[in-house]
Amino acid sequence: MMGISTRVSHLVGVSAMLACAAALQIARPLLAQVPSTRSARAGQTAQLDIEGAWERYGMFFGPRGNAAPPPNVPPPAMPPPLKPQYRAEWQAAVQRAREADAKGQPLATGYTSCLPDGMPAMMAAMFPLEILVSKGRVTIIEEAFNQVRRIVMDQPQKPLDEVEPGFFGHSVGRWEGDTLVIDTIGIKDNVRYQNTPHSPQMRISERIKLVSPDILWDEITIEDPVTLERPWVVTYAYKRMPNYTLLEYVCEDNREFADEQGRQRIRIGPRKD
Amino acid sequence: MSRTRIVSMASISLVLFASVIARAHHSFSMFDHTQTRTLKGTVTRFQWTNPHAYIELDVTDANGAVQHFSIECTSINMLQRLGWRSTMIKAGDQVKAVVAPLLNGDPGGLLLELTLPDGRKLDPGVPAAGSYKRTPEVD
Repeated sequence: MMGISTRVSHLVGVSAMLACAAALQIARPLLAQVPSTRSARAGQTAQLDIEGAWERYGMFFGPRGNAAPPPNVPPPAMPPPLKPQYRAEWQAAVQRAREADAKGQPLATGYTSCLPDGMPAMMAAMFPLEILVSKGRVTIIEEAFNQVRRIVMDQPQKPLDEVEPGFFGHSVGRWEGDTLVIDTIGIKDNVRYQNTPHSPQMRISERIKLVSPDILWDEITIEDPVTLERPWVVTYAYKRMPNYTLLEYVCEDNREFADEQGRQRIRIGPRKD
Repeated sequence: MSRTRIVSMASISLVLFASVIARAHHSFSMFDHTQTRTLKGTVTRFQWTNPHAYIELDVTDANGAVQHFSIECTSINMLQRLGWRSTMIKAGDQVKAVVAPLLNGDPGGLLLELTLPDGRKLDPGVPAAGSYKRTPEVD
């Protein structure tokens, strides 16, 4: 018991330090700094421990939420460290969206067309995630839009020109002790995370590990030699859902549509068929 | 001094970024956040679909004229996690719906609270439900 409470308070301290580091915009792989107390052998257990259903955890900590974060909440995400020419485009898009919202005429987005998030946005887990570990494969399912990522284990990444760009890209993974390390390339240009432009060279690296028995972190590092000044690190936390089975999600009747001005509208009345 | 300035700049960026995150998936700005309408009427259909469920409602005014409303609920996944079932509402049911009206004047809105014929109140789990200013019901 003593050991557990020491570990928890240690992690709380680490979280607080990490939050400070993030506020100073230090873009380094933060999770790598958390000292691992598990041996490499413990990785065998971790592979099974990450299986199951998970929900986003600690979402409402930060500028808009509660002042005191619960334990094991990662630092809030920083805006994309875009190069100046792309930063201007991003800020203009954010401004356009804000002005449209202020007028009550929101701009249509991919969501208006019922498109899935793709990577890495699906890891924000609007709805629960399920992780499956099978021979040579880790599969991550997000309930919203039935999104599925297939991570090929212990194989080299393909050359970029052999990967047809898609929503989820091509992912390879390996275990580094108790951490699942994933490398993803090949995301389509129109699949945008937080409206951020990216080039075909964008690479997404993830470090997924348990920070406590029922809290999982995914530290996502996005690198893009064309659009980003430096790696962009975003960490999401998830809480285990012990008895939850993911529900199906089919975009069966999407009443939202973009009108001729690109604004989001809703069809009134049932479909005429 | 410069450290304070960096922290302050970081905070501004965070506030900006947080507002982007908040509307990443579904903008609710097409609904009126300053007033609600309480609609009492007859359900013509309960549409149990994603990305949203809908309650189709006929509302009769004091002069006997019937106006039809489409009331958007959250996703059926969210509703199920809150205990809703597709059979809870059916055509012909008399219900009371508190909605945030569509700002463009179309006869529709976002469901904030539903009262079933047996008096049970259902919460549809709208994100940031507290941000909609409620207008007291008038009889």
